[in-house]
Amino acid sequence: MVRWIVSRALGAAFVLWAVATLIFFGLRLIPGDPAEAILGGPGSQASDEALQKVRLDYGLDQPLLVQYVQAMFRLLRGDLGTSYALKADVAALLGELFWSTLTLTVLSLVVAWAFALVLATWATRGGRLGRMVGSGMEIVAAAVPHFWLASLFILLFSTALRWLPPISTPGPLGLVLPVLTLAIPLAGFLGQVMRESLADALESPFVLSARARGESETGVRWRHAIRHAALPAISLSGWAFGSLISGAVVVETVFARPGLGRSLLNAVTIRDVPMVTGVALVSALAFVLVTIATDAVDRIADPRLRAR
Amino acid sequence: MSLPETDLAQPGLASRPTATRPGARVTVGEVVAIGVLALLALAAIVPGLFTSVDPLAISPTEAFQSPNTAHWFGTDESGRDVFARTIHGARSSLLIGVAATAIGMALALILGVMGGIGAKPLDYTVTRVGEVLFALPGLLLALIFIAIVGPGMMTATVAVGISTAPGYARIIRSQIRAVRTAPFVEAATVLGRSRFFTLRRHILPNALAPIFVLATLGVGQAIVWASSLSYLGLGAVPPAAEWGAMLSAGRSYISNAWWLTVFPGIFIVLAAGAATALGRSMQARTRQVER
Amino acid sequence: MRPHSPARIRRRVLGASAALAGLALLVSGCAAGPSGSSEPTAGGTLVYASGDAEPTCLDPHVGGNYPQALVATQYLESLVSKDSDGEIIPWLATSWKQADDGLSWEFSLRDDVSFTDGTPFNADAVRANVAHLLDPETASSTGYLALGKVASTESVDDHTVRFNLSVPDSSLLDSLSMPWVAIQSPTAMERGKDVNCESPVGTGPFIVTDWVKQDSITLERNEDYNSPPADADHEGTAWLDEIVWRFIPDSASRYAALQGGQVDVIDNPQPSDISASAALDTISELDAPRPGAANRIELNSGKAPLDDVRVREAFIRAADVNDGIESLFFGTAKRSYSLLSSVEALGVSGEEHFTVDLDSANSLLDEAGWTERDGDGYRVKDGERLTLDFPVSTNQSIPAEQSLFEQIQATTKAAGFEVVLHPMDLSSWYGALAVNEYDLVSAPYTKVGPDVLRILFHSDSIVPAPSGYFANLSQLSDPEVDQLLTEASQVSEPDERAALYAEVQQKILGGFHVLPLYDQQNHFLVGSAVNGLRAMPTVSTPTFYDVWLTR
Repeated sequence: MVRWIVSRALGAAFVLWAVATLIFFGLRLIPGDPAEAILGGPGSQASDEALQKVRLDYGLDQPLLVQYVQAMFRLLRGDLGTSYALKADVAALLGELFWSTLTLTVLSLVVAWAFALVLATWATRGGRLGRMVGSGMEIVAAAVPHFWLASLFILLFSTALRWLPPISTPGPLGLVLPVLTLAIPLAGFLGQVMRESLADALESPFVLSARARGESETGVRWRHAIRHAALPAISLSGWAFGSLISGAVVVETVFARPGLGRSLLNAVTIRDVPMVTGVALVSALAFVLVTIATDAVDRIADPRLRAR
Repeated sequence: MSLPETDLAQPGLASRPTATRPGARVTVGEVVAIGVLALLALAAIVPGLFTSVDPLAISPTEAFQSPNTAHWFGTDESGRDVFARTIHGARSSLLIGVAATAIGMALALILGVMGGIGAKPLDYTVTRVGEVLFALPGLLLALIFIAIVGPGMMTATVAVGISTAPGYARIIRSQIRAVRTAPFVEAATVLGRSRFFTLRRHILPNALAPIFVLATLGVGQAIVWASSLSYLGLGAVPPAAEWGAMLSAGRSYISNAWWLTVFPGIFIVLAAGAATALGRSMQARTRQVER
Repeated sequence: MRPHSPARIRRRVLGASAALAGLALLVSGCAAGPSGSSEPTAGGTLVYASGDAEPTCLDPHVGGNYPQALVATQYLESLVSKDSDGEIIPWLATSWKQADDGLSWEFSLRDDVSFTDGTPFNADAVRANVAHLLDPETASSTGYLALGKVASTESVDDHTVRFNLSVPDSSLLDSLSMPWVAIQSPTAMERGKDVNCESPVGTGPFIVTDWVKQDSITLERNEDYNSPPADADHEGTAWLDEIVWRFIPDSASRYAALQGGQVDVIDNPQPSDISASAALDTISELDAPRPGAANRIELNSGKAPLDDVRVREAFIRAADVNDGIESLFFGTAKRSYSLLSSVEALGVSGEEHFTVDLDSANSLLDEAGWTERDGDGYRVKDGERLTLDFPVSTNQSIPAEQSLFEQIQATTKAAGFEVVLHPMDLSSWYGALAVNEYDLVSAPYTKVGPDVLRILFHSDSIVPAPSGYFANLSQLSDPEVDQLLTEASQVSEPDERAALYAEVQQKILGGFHVLPLYDQQNHFLVGSAVNGLRAMPTVSTPTFYDVWLTR
């Protein structure tokens, strides 16, 4: 067990390092002068003295590899730097934004899970028609673009019915629409996966033997099949988290909700390297942690995996 | 953004006997999905069959008409016929979906094969690279790529392709690894076949069989993500009739011209949904074959 | 010329209050206690949602765009203001005198005002502000250009300051009324640019207390406030406790938030929403066209193909915008044929220059050598297509305007022009302009008074200000125009000044350098809880000083 933890931790560290490297060189490829970006963006056309001063201050005049090493060392110390555009400490900014996005994504994941579970179990119960309807709903849900769903929700619940606020207000009510918008397409995906695994599991040998032993249908479902069917969906949570962060960009913009997604869009456009690096690292870290957690759950839940 | 691994890549799960034979009855769902895709493909190739109106022709005096007999889907803010634009939009949207998936698959094949048949170190490296790309939010990869190269439909297509590649690569790699240890491959080696021969005749065809299914599933997602990029202003440029761009423009008028939002959105869902449905049913069939 | 809006909204509010008062009288027969809704009451938080780009710096000396002016109006004040008749009125300065030779102005300042950090407001403070604006390190554009003729300043005594000019400037008072030249605490400015950008300190009715980037700015009431301009509705502190200034870029979300009551005032509403809200009695409109230039498209005559006047005229003849403006703006915007805003008294309209005539466009292009067309219908000459690049700032152009540009794209195609629209964010847009990668551009420029013509069309303005922005985007370089503009800016005699400005406007319009569209639209939609809102007649920014809430 310890060996497993250590190896995963090393793997995680590697991923973070690689992400930081990728961002560092990737952003350098974007056309434009990074010194200009620091001074306010491509159009700032600051004086040559100002640009030169910035280059010295930020070490931009040194060879690329030297800059890279320096940047890596800074990251190791936990120094995420100062945002070029917002002129504030990136770590502090991310702290504020992170909780907001985290709340949104975690809630969405939970809600998506709940929907998927309901859909999957209900569908397998209803025979062929139930399966078709369930399957259809899942496929449609997964095919809906976030921004369209958001528009429809605002149109229906805010403009027409006046039940919910159209923009994210502090407090639970302001979270309802953003969470639903993110959760529904994900629920579609998860539902599809779960339903198949559930169908598989319901006809597997250990379930047959449970039925043969005389267990009730509900007992069979809940005690054996669901646990087994949930495994693939759990291991998908890592991927799901990453996809939710992508979705958060649109949802946060449409519902005017502060968060990593909204800031990311802006930061990439204006080449705000510290900000982009910060957001990328945070999401990569979150992804890695979630993956490790789900793998751990996998191992605990499925004894077969421990043998590996 | 990339496709999640489905249990397609997890061989060895409980197998069960099945009563159905491969090539069994076509289900209603499949018929509907194929029908929808065929209609959309037809719209993409020969839009003239469905509408003779120019999707780019403006007529400001006829702006914001709700759906009526002259304009089935109404008109937009410049008086353009929304039905014509939606039909013509099929071409851009489907093309982007197919092209992005093709690009993603191509990249994935390279990475996946390298990881699948390469020696341990190569496999390790490729897997780690894949993990790293996977760990980044797909949209971030696309944004950076677009920032480097500049916005546009081509760029958006490539960007979506690049973001989906890691996911496919993982699946391909694990498929190849799984097939490599299969009995019939062992048999071939024992029989003295060369490695290359084994690779070409046995490993690759079997490992890559699910590609088609994955690609079909992927097209659906690619269409949705490409339209998201257009919505954010990073894809198709006005006045292109692309569904995502149309939704983006229509968003501003949602309270007084709902048809600008509803119809292109329905088509995105139709296209992506049909592709996904088809992919899922093909997946179901191949699984039945495996068993 | 008076702007319609403040009077209109005041009438509306007064009317509503009168009705309420009447009702209250009726009701008070049954219930004890006054309803109090026609009398300002202190207290409450107002939420303002802006669709403009969030400022990168809250100090309007730095750069100088409209979003900065909108928020700075609440916490910074200028030496003078303007009333709704267009007359300059006292604010932080009580009186002023121009020397006979026009080369210096003396301002008497109020002696009872302090900045909210305790620093006293005096002549030295004014001098520090002017120095700050003219310092290249500050990277000012609007303020820098406005005070371009100020050679030096002197403190005659503690509360009298003298501006020495290099040449006479007939628009100095106009310039000094703008928020981009507002007076900040010298102590605060000394803290350095980064700090001052976060929390500038002024003399205004509100104080900046917090700024959560990309979310909101919090402004709290200044309890020691005592310096409203001469045309304010009351004296003393503001009624509101607090203002939350939010940024909601999506126009549909913004309007939905107003309807739902989550925000009280929004700007940049969609024309369709303005027209829809007219039917509602819970939302009213404040229409305050910005002064300065009208909203227009400038044709870059600094490079091919628009350096040829025939090509420019052909473009004008082919671009059909009237129907589009009518339908896209739902009647809320009127077509303008003038370079100047309709609130500028000295603007002239040149409708005769802008008739749409496709045949004329085609023959002009043939004349100019663009005789062949390629397979897509665009004209070519020597293998080059007649392409016009049009960068569009998605922050500054509302969707209706972007759609209008699409229509121009379509109508000019008939004559063979290929207009390529490049939607981009504000920062990239500035970048494209800076490297001359544009043929057409629509750039708002708000400045009080006709002197804006000098900023926009004098050849000196092709040289960038310290911020990098250059205002003469049509790159017009005509010595006659230069001479007329320079003369007009120095002449104080009203009739002579009016005549000079009229002449130069006709000249520019006739040279087909500009396609005027409409006034710079500046509409605000206001929820029913808000009373007393008016737009400052200076640059038409709303001021919340006289506002009180009835919730």
